[in-house]
Amino acid sequence: MAQPTVAAPDLAARFPEMVTPDTRKGYSGYIVKAEALLDFAKALKEEFGYDYLSSVTGVDYLPQGLMEVVYHAYKITGGPPLVFKVQVPRDNPVVPSVTSIWPGANFQEREAWDLLGIRFEGHPNLKRILLWEGFWGHPLRKDWREPYYEGEHKPFKSRTAGPHFWHEDHNPFGKNVDYPPGFDPYTWEPETADQILYESVIQRTRKPEQEELHSEQVVVNLGPQHPSTHGVFRMIATLDGETVVALEPVMGYLHRNHEKIGERNTWIMNIPYTDRLDYITAMSNNFGYVLAVEKLMGLEPPERAQYLRVIMAELTRIVNHLWAIGFLLNDLGAFFTPALYAIEERELILDVFEAASGSRMMNNYMRFGGVVRDIPEDAWDMLVKLVHDRLPRKIDELDRFLTHNELIKSRTQGVGVLTPEQAIALSTSGPVLRASGVPYDVRRAEPYGIYDRFDFDVAVRYHGDVYDRYLIRLDEARQSLRILQQAVRDIPERGAPILAGKPQYQVRVPAGEAYGRVEGPKGELGFYVVSTGKANPWRYHVRAPSFINLTALEAMSIGNKVADLVVILGSIDIVLGEVDR
Amino acid sequence: MAFMTLFIITGAVAVAAALGLLFARNAVYAALFLVLNMFALAVLYLMLGAPFIAMVQITVYAGAIMVLFLFVIMLLGAEQLKEDGGPIAWQRPLALVLGVALLLEVTYFVFAALGTGVRLLPPPEGFGDPHAVGLTLFQQYLLPFEVTSVLLLVAMVGAIVLVKNGRARAASSSEAGEQ
Amino acid sequence: MDTTLLLEWTIKAVILIFILLTGFAYLTLMERKVLARIQVRLGPNRAGPYGLLQPVADGIKLLFKESIIPAKADKVIFVLAPLITVIPALVINAVLPWGRTVTVFGRQVSLYVANINVALLYVMAIASIAVYGVTLAGWSSNNKYALLGGLRSAAQMISYELALGLSLLGPVLLAGSLSLVDIVEAQRRMWYIVYQPLAAVIFFITSVAELNRAPFDLPEAEQELTAGYHTEYSGMKFALFYMAEYVKMITVSALFAVLFLGGYLGPFESQYPWLGPIYLVLKILVGLYVLIWLRATLPRFRYDQLMRLGWKVLFPLALLNVVVTAVIVVLMG
Repeated sequence: MAQPTVAAPDLAARFPEMVTPDTRKGYSGYIVKAEALLDFAKALKEEFGYDYLSSVTGVDYLPQGLMEVVYHAYKITGGPPLVFKVQVPRDNPVVPSVTSIWPGANFQEREAWDLLGIRFEGHPNLKRILLWEGFWGHPLRKDWREPYYEGEHKPFKSRTAGPHFWHEDHNPFGKNVDYPPGFDPYTWEPETADQILYESVIQRTRKPEQEELHSEQVVVNLGPQHPSTHGVFRMIATLDGETVVALEPVMGYLHRNHEKIGERNTWIMNIPYTDRLDYITAMSNNFGYVLAVEKLMGLEPPERAQYLRVIMAELTRIVNHLWAIGFLLNDLGAFFTPALYAIEERELILDVFEAASGSRMMNNYMRFGGVVRDIPEDAWDMLVKLVHDRLPRKIDELDRFLTHNELIKSRTQGVGVLTPEQAIALSTSGPVLRASGVPYDVRRAEPYGIYDRFDFDVAVRYHGDVYDRYLIRLDEARQSLRILQQAVRDIPERGAPILAGKPQYQVRVPAGEAYGRVEGPKGELGFYVVSTGKANPWRYHVRAPSFINLTALEAMSIGNKVADLVVILGSIDIVLGEVDR
Repeated sequence: MAFMTLFIITGAVAVAAALGLLFARNAVYAALFLVLNMFALAVLYLMLGAPFIAMVQITVYAGAIMVLFLFVIMLLGAEQLKEDGGPIAWQRPLALVLGVALLLEVTYFVFAALGTGVRLLPPPEGFGDPHAVGLTLFQQYLLPFEVTSVLLLVAMVGAIVLVKNGRARAASSSEAGEQ
Repeated sequence: MDTTLLLEWTIKAVILIFILLTGFAYLTLMERKVLARIQVRLGPNRAGPYGLLQPVADGIKLLFKESIIPAKADKVIFVLAPLITVIPALVINAVLPWGRTVTVFGRQVSLYVANINVALLYVMAIASIAVYGVTLAGWSSNNKYALLGGLRSAAQMISYELALGLSLLGPVLLAGSLSLVDIVEAQRRMWYIVYQPLAAVIFFITSVAELNRAPFDLPEAEQELTAGYHTEYSGMKFALFYMAEYVKMITVSALFAVLFLGGYLGPFESQYPWLGPIYLVLKILVGLYVLIWLRATLPRFRYDQLMRLGWKVLFPLALLNVVVTAVIVVLMG
């Protein structure tokens, strides 16, 4: 589990004075001057083949007075990341936008603007994405204070000692609300925020000849209160008849600033907190987070724990894919029957999770250096039966019932097509990327844990439509079963250690940065963490696959019918807990 | 007696619906009044012993044509009529003149008929049932029937051609815009 | 016109409406039970034995729900629309023959409300005006989802009515009559589903589309249009839409039985006319089961696919069927 090393040619020599290696202790990669960023990025993409921009995020280095934007770029053929950073002064953070080179940076740059206040020059649509339009300030900045502000860390010092006051005592409204300056809630027109949204949509879609044709376009809001947006999610679709000509996803209704809370939690308190990201796949989320922190701590889990992690992660993948297929069929208008068939199997897998971790959904199972508990024997027998007998049968059954159904084919084939070029450029990951014909799987491209020991195929489909995104989930579930069967066979005997070191409530994490990523069921789930050696992370960023896959939603939707919108959304498979964070 | 009462009620409904159609400010309401009018007419046909015509009246006029009317009104969002007299200034006076002329004509014929004292004969057995209507239509009035069909066909083809032209132009102009 | 005849008609109409409304209530229960069984669930089983009181509970709930009229809705039409939907669904059943003549209290009573010689045309006429309720509900709600749902339903019903009407012509040509009683009696030798399989299939598909049931339930497509035309409806007004849908399900199943499955005919029916209604009910139940089964297993069509199916497949096929049947009827004399 070495720090990611840079395998690229000497970039510092290629761009003298503009690019310098990052020499801070525990850091890696390059620091790029803001004015050279675009040339650098272009060279990376076109000369060195780093065509896949995985993660863009910012870090607020308050003591140094710096705002840093961190990029992780990969080659789509596999290998370690190339990390590069841009440092700008905190009081005027302006960075050129890389959306012209990697369009997939779109939402992530908007998120960095929203939460950290870093302005990206040349961004096509730089506005808030998770918070509402009237929000005051940028909450991930270290000097931002919320109402009811209590302290930097948990457990809060202010609760035990020291003078403190309730912020809302000074608020004339006496509520948990901090209004922006010049904001009067009594005269505010609630349409304003919508106006900003609509205008940007309409301006992008209006063509001059539409004026003379008098064909009126309708703007339809799908959501936020809508039965098939999988949560509180909104799509502003501009329709010409029933054909989508533009679409803007609007999210953040479930936003709770996961990252801010994560930065005030201690390191270990974040493990159960990751369960709440994508609540269908809690085990995977645990895995990604502990992997990132273990990179910083230099910990290596024992063998049995490694196997248990793989088993749990792959079971989670099956759970997720069954769920996704079931609800995709629901979005197609099948009245719950496929969903309920799929969920029946999920329940059995959750039984195993419950036996191992004590909870069916919020598992909180993994720890730095291992897992928290061994799996009980009866649950193990259940698991072996599931893996060898029941699940293969049931996945075949779903396949038999659904795959050749004429209606499903006619509704999904050729719908919501994403070309491989688009898929890479828009930074999609997971089944969405692989269904477009790009065989990129983190388990193969940059193996983590013990995935290099298993024999499995990276599932790939080539049409990039909804049908392929459905098929690939069946394929992946089958590959997961292959991995599971090998893992169940090879796992060390019961009684072997499952945790490196002894269990502890507080961990010491050396200063530095780390990016840990796993192939989550929904795509590449990455955690970028920065430690200053304190009890809390200095920065805790989640590269949420559901969120970034949504970047491709508009590209998939344009030209399709409005009825296909929900199907396309269903085929991306989002969970709002992860999208909104 | 019951027959007469029914006739008066139906007639009143028909006239009221027609007036409602004329004076409704909302196009949807106007369309609905017309539907009501059709129904009243269908009932009148029934009372005249022509159930076939009555059913066809409902199916074709109320069930198909007026639904299309409504469809178009709703699709265009043209429910509210403008306050001014419409695009043609002399429309109203002309309508008034023609309406009065029609009224005079009808009154004249009614009174003329009353004066002669001719009584209508009861309809022959089987009048107005599907069989009789079919025979009349396809034997006595075959040519007009076919001509009407051809006319409708021509209208339909014309509509398709018009739409196709518009589409082709829109497509070519949007291509030009993208270049 | 003697008063006893008038009384007899009234009683028959009241009984029919009572049967339809009870049928509607228990059809909802049947649907939920069957759906549940197909989906590996139990279905409602709390209210009364086997959940038999569930429809009552649902009815009471809907009755006491607040009836909301949106502020910017067109109030008159908003209130009228459910009525316009439900009345045709009920009156269409007047021409259904439930059996032959039976003797009640020494009086010969025929088991239908009315036997008119244009019964099928009557069915078509009433069916064609059912679309008004849905369309107007969508329009008057002043809601984009509802309007789209209403417009969809208008387009869908008009498109499918043509094929539906043409498929009816098959049995009409064979029986040589538009009266449903004559059509049933003409099937004494053999059910028309044997002579007219194509017409039967087309009739079934198009009538599912007319019903707005899965897989043709686009006007109320939950996934795209929340609830389509009845998005804004609540309480009793919503219940009326619901009622119309289920009564129409019964009607369609009954029509299918009458036109293609020999209606009230069955073994020993000629000796014991009372068996007629029982046979018809059994046949209706089969039809209802198939409708529910479809809903449980099939995803939904997309709008353009639905239109294509209606105009490019079903309509030409129905036309072909009429031509072929007519030629055969003429040749056979």
